[in-house]
Amino acid sequence: MPGTPFASDALDNITFSLGRGSFTLLIGPSGSGKTTLIQHLNGLLKPTSGAVYFDGKKIGADKAALLSLRRRIGLVFQMPEEQFFSETVYDEIAYAPRNLGLDENKVKERVVKAVERVGLEHKDLLDRHPFQLSAGQKRLVAFAAVLSIEPEVLILDEPAAGLDPAGKQKLFNLLYGLNRSEEITVLVSTHHLDEVAALADYLLALKGGRLMMAGKAREVLARRTELQGLGLALPQVTEIMDQLSVRGLPVRKDIYSLSAACEEIIRVKRADQG
Amino acid sequence: MAVVKAEPIIEAKKIYYSYAGEEEEFSPALSDVDLKINQGEYLTLLGANGSGKTTLLKLLNALLIPSQGEVLVKGISTVEAEQLELVRQTCGMIFQNPDNQIVATTVEEDIAFGLENLALPSAEIRRRVDNVASRLGLTHLLQHPPHRLSGGEKQRTAIAGILAMQPACILMDEPTAMLDPAGRLEVLKTVKDLNKKESLAIVHVTHSPAEAAEADRIVVLELGRIVADGKPEEILTNLKLLHKLGLEGTVAAELADLLRQEGLKLPAAIMSNRELIESLCSSEQIS
Amino acid sequence: MSRSITLGHYLPGDSAIHQLNPRIKVPVLMVILVILFAIKTLTGLVAMLVAVFLLFAVARVPFSYFLKGLRPIIYIALFALIIFIFFTKGGVVLFRFGPFTVESEGLWQGLFVIIRLVTLVLFSLLLTLTTTPLSLTHGLGYYLKPLSRIGLPAEEVVMIMAIALRFIPTLIEESQRLMRAQVSRGADFESGSIFRKAKNLVPLIVPLFVSAFRRADELALAMEARGYRLGARRTRLHEDLIKTQDWLVLLMALLLLAAVIYNQYLR
Repeated sequence: MPGTPFASDALDNITFSLGRGSFTLLIGPSGSGKTTLIQHLNGLLKPTSGAVYFDGKKIGADKAALLSLRRRIGLVFQMPEEQFFSETVYDEIAYAPRNLGLDENKVKERVVKAVERVGLEHKDLLDRHPFQLSAGQKRLVAFAAVLSIEPEVLILDEPAAGLDPAGKQKLFNLLYGLNRSEEITVLVSTHHLDEVAALADYLLALKGGRLMMAGKAREVLARRTELQGLGLALPQVTEIMDQLSVRGLPVRKDIYSLSAACEEIIRVKRADQG
Repeated sequence: MAVVKAEPIIEAKKIYYSYAGEEEEFSPALSDVDLKINQGEYLTLLGANGSGKTTLLKLLNALLIPSQGEVLVKGISTVEAEQLELVRQTCGMIFQNPDNQIVATTVEEDIAFGLENLALPSAEIRRRVDNVASRLGLTHLLQHPPHRLSGGEKQRTAIAGILAMQPACILMDEPTAMLDPAGRLEVLKTVKDLNKKESLAIVHVTHSPAEAAEADRIVVLELGRIVADGKPEEILTNLKLLHKLGLEGTVAAELADLLRQEGLKLPAAIMSNRELIESLCSSEQIS
Repeated sequence: MSRSITLGHYLPGDSAIHQLNPRIKVPVLMVILVILFAIKTLTGLVAMLVAVFLLFAVARVPFSYFLKGLRPIIYIALFALIIFIFFTKGGVVLFRFGPFTVESEGLWQGLFVIIRLVTLVLFSLLLTLTTTPLSLTHGLGYYLKPLSRIGLPAEEVVMIMAIALRFIPTLIEESQRLMRAQVSRGADFESGSIFRKAKNLVPLIVPLFVSAFRRADELALAMEARGYRLGARRTRLHEDLIKTQDWLVLLMALLLLAAVIYNQYLR
């Protein structure tokens, strides 16, 4: 499902593709064009030149085609709980499938399934008013509201914004789970590498509307100086490992999570002894 | 020679607070809280959502009045309505949402807002606005409307507006929560500078351990009560307490903990990256 | 990444006209409107038209703004001209095609009405081009003050309008974002009957309202925290003092009005 060149005021000559089932991170500072880029991927915005292709077909302006595109590509905006308007959680999650023309039985199936997939107990939840939920629950309901489309591709803009550290980790693990177990192609646009760098297959780095770096996550993340030049902060854990390496400890540098860091340090220490 | 201890700027004495309509069912938002904040002190209020940290912050500048007990700002009780102006001028507050605290159509008008409320003469307002703008690097933005500012710039504008009122203390309610990393650094650096160079007291509500590490002192809240009060080195390495509250220590502290669980001997209180690296590089034995 | 959204076509500048106090600009405009309707001769109107062109030059407004500003009334003007040309009789017959005659009186009166309309629009345009919406709000607020004696909270009304102005660009961006988000969930805001469309707007209106209430709450708290109190005395950064040139301009406008009335009605 490749995307091909676009150019506009905010975006300049961007070419990349997302493979089916991949987990890709889109990183870059504010104003780098991430949100604009994302909105091209489900046809909300049209490129001034160049085109976006989904599953081999070019995304055009035909309304019926766009609607069926949005059956397959789900886009979750930043702070998605701000879109709530329904009186019950059920209706909120049912909005998208209903818009897509499904009958009520199918809609019900989808709603229940979506709630389960995000890890919420649906028994009392579905009848409650969305505004009565906690912040974490609201966020999950907002995701369910897009998952009920049962998209093949899930694009998320800052999905963890406003959550506390535990909430962030939970969320990214959820996305990773959806990607691995259901083969949903995931694209996450974010500033925070800490919780998610370890999970990504591919990484795209944007700055000033241009695609500065693209490739396998491990490879891109290894290009430390370039990343720093783009004003992007590596995960804390990775910085620690880098510094250990500078100080002479023979640790691997492709470490992006706490558990990996722990393992690697132990390994090196044990090797050192034995 | 007697050392005169400076009066705390803010003092909370045995305060309780309940939100209206929540009386019997839930425990009060705050119970039995005693807190003193001294001049020039950088204090972090740490806690999970619902711990009462924002409530406590609002009690400190009289946005809320305690149900029991009292809050004294420079010796004045916040209950005294006539002195409200002085309380608000002494303790300024920055909020989480950068947009929803900017009132005016341009940066300079917004910085002037507090001063206009104090009914200062126009020339004095002008002087202070220009002064504060130059201290915070906002001079080139003075004519800008708020929707053309970045998140970090908006928060700095808010800080400027407070600073112009010449407060003794700045209260901050998760001011970086809605900013990108660059904006976050901007704001934190600005605040740290104000604390160090101008001895402004800071009370910073956050749930980020990295931000909390910058403080002189951390007060931890759980369900409306203070459960810990100490230096960052003590609090942020006390993972047992933090995890129980649904919080985390700094990355270095968490990693150190994991390593200790695997048998690596490391000193107890590791908080910063540097400390961890030093310990690891000075050959420790594995059991 | 937001474009600057200008309201009411304000064009930044520092000409003499930009610097006039809005408290004077508003009554002066009203005096000018009275003058425009009091003038009975075509020459008088043309003189006023020339005057407004000159004022545009003083304000350093590019010609393109003229044309842009006149665009909305072009159809009305043409329509009026046609009505007058074909249906007002009198004077010399100028053209004749088939059953229609065009007589000079019709052409004259048509021109009269159009020139007056155009001059009127141009003077108003001059006001909005040289005065920020906020400035105007404060200027008008000044005239609301006497109403506070009968209970109208004039200062607060001005504050409300100023805050509304401040949030308009923000709200516009927010609603655009919201619309795109709902469209991504399959919403369709374009097709269907009026009833359908109205129903489909609920997912836009409710969140915007909720967000607006939340904003208002947070903003009120922030204002309180900075010492704002209803009814308390406030000063302003920009004082908007009325200067000598402001009085002079008002005086000139009034003199002109007097001259016109004398000339057109009392001689």
